[in-house]
Amino acid sequence: MKRTLPQSFVLYSGLVVVLLIIGLPFWWVITGSIKVPREIIARVPTMFPQSFTLQHFEKLFQSTDFPAYLVNSIGVALFSTVITVALALPAAYAFFRMRFPGRAALYRLILLAYAFPTIVVLIPIYGFFAKVGLIDTRTSLVIINVAFALPFSIWMMRSFLSTVPREIEEAAVIDGAPARVILLRIMAPLIAPGIASVAIFTFIASWTEYLFASVLIVSDARRTIPVGFAGIIGQYQIDWGLLLAGATAATIPVVILFAFVGRWFVSGLTEGAVK
Amino acid sequence: MAGLSLKSVKKRFGDTEVITGVDLSVEDGEFLVFVGPSGCGKSTLLRMIAGLESVSDGNIEIGGRDVTHLDPARRGIAMVFQTYALYPHMTVAANIGFPLEMAGLGQGEIDRKVADAAKVLHLEPYLQRKPRELSGGQRQRVAIGRAIVRQPDVFLFDEPLSNLDAELRIQMRLEIARLHQKLKSTMVYVTHDQVEAMTLASRIVVLRAGRIEQVGAPLDLYENPDNIFVAGFIGSPRMNFVTTTVSRVADGFAYVNADTLGLKEIAVRLRGAVASAGETVTLGIRPEHFGPNGAGSLEGTVSVVERLGGVSYVHASLADGSQIAVESRDSRAYQAGQNHAFAFDTDRALLFGSDGRRL
Repeated sequence: MKRTLPQSFVLYSGLVVVLLIIGLPFWWVITGSIKVPREIIARVPTMFPQSFTLQHFEKLFQSTDFPAYLVNSIGVALFSTVITVALALPAAYAFFRMRFPGRAALYRLILLAYAFPTIVVLIPIYGFFAKVGLIDTRTSLVIINVAFALPFSIWMMRSFLSTVPREIEEAAVIDGAPARVILLRIMAPLIAPGIASVAIFTFIASWTEYLFASVLIVSDARRTIPVGFAGIIGQYQIDWGLLLAGATAATIPVVILFAFVGRWFVSGLTEGAVK
Repeated sequence: MAGLSLKSVKKRFGDTEVITGVDLSVEDGEFLVFVGPSGCGKSTLLRMIAGLESVSDGNIEIGGRDVTHLDPARRGIAMVFQTYALYPHMTVAANIGFPLEMAGLGQGEIDRKVADAAKVLHLEPYLQRKPRELSGGQRQRVAIGRAIVRQPDVFLFDEPLSNLDAELRIQMRLEIARLHQKLKSTMVYVTHDQVEAMTLASRIVVLRAGRIEQVGAPLDLYENPDNIFVAGFIGSPRMNFVTTTVSRVADGFAYVNADTLGLKEIAVRLRGAVASAGETVTLGIRPEHFGPNGAGSLEGTVSVVERLGGVSYVHASLADGSQIAVESRDSRAYQAGQNHAFAFDTDRALLFGSDGRRL
């Protein structure tokens, strides 16, 4: 259908507004991180940098604990992601294919995990972790992240599994493939976009998790970026350049992750299978 | 290779019985075709043989071995699905070799067997391609290749040609027939296309509502159907049915007429079941049994003429509103709107009782 000029105008104006809403904060943060301090706090803000400096990044990596926070965050997010995917895939397959008593009820129940405000479960979890000696460990954060990401991940992966034509699975059964092989060699490659979605969801949820990281981690060396960062801001004054450099640096791993798993987001993975 | 036997096999989904006690014996090397309308249970029965559906009652034997509760992989069967069901992320070679890999064969042996199957099915140039890079016919050949490498006792085909276009379907039908001649394996084939059934089968099983209506060689079913359902289902265009009345019965013949349709009394041979005078019966006449020298005749108005070149199918309305199809070699003899008396060979006509059974 061909759009008329006014329709195109409305459409592109809308797109520009959305792009500005999403893109401007990023632009502000990234450009701000390379401006000299005077320009950052100038009375008349500059949309395009009039100066260029890497001093904030230098300070970030040399005079603060940011590198340690970055390593902690990457470790916690990666472990959380890998464990979540490894658990969600077989669990979703079980909900999708296996027959067991209470399957439907249990499947509905898992999303109930999100019905409780996080703050409500924080205290009992703290008490429990204190008893088992997990306070001030990065493992505690991985456990929390996996526990919170898993229900949604199972739910999402099951939906992806249901898009695989049943005959493909049946053909594999007749070919003599055991359930493990069907899941890993037949189904998993066919739901790669689903696995990628779950991975990104979990990674970002873990990367930005603040509440539990601020309560369960006590020592500075084990902090993740969101909590550690809060410390940088609040200590004596707000160093805007440092803050913006830190924010920029914190988004880089997420950008890399998207670039890495983005290629899995290809449509038509089952093309040629059943038609 | 092995035969197959079904003994009182039933299938229930909840309270609904979809297969109502099937007894069937398939000889070693036979090409058996299940045919029937949608929902008659033919695919369900095939899936039960494959082990993809559980058996509610009765048992299934393959090569004399009870496989009723065995896993599909241990039944000695291979199945070709209507939708091909290829593994889209694997190459053709990997698809064909997958069952061998699962059976624990070495890579060398897998490669050799895959190459053999590819040769039989003319797939050699495509071994490194993915399914999406193949045409429909090639994909179906890959699916068949995946079945033949396993050297199963019984091949199961679930409407394998339904997704193909008409030309390819004819070509693949011939290929399957050749494959059967070459492998001499037992094959069970499901289709709703009676032409496929007639051309491929050693024996046809006609199913309706989960029950076997008749089993027999294609021509036996065609010439000697047990009931009106089989008579109507086998043959294209289908058999014409006309309501008539029995005037008398003598010497193994029933004399029937239908005055309103212009049908004077004709003698139709009875097969065994007895008809009685005054009984309303259905007269069955195949379209090709109409001809100028027939002893019987029906009067009707031509509604449509389908001219296929060599033959024409003349569709006509009778006085009671029923429709008949008449095969004619003379393409120019009939025009729409004309009234005609359509003569037919009474020796080839069949009679069916009010319950549908052949008389």
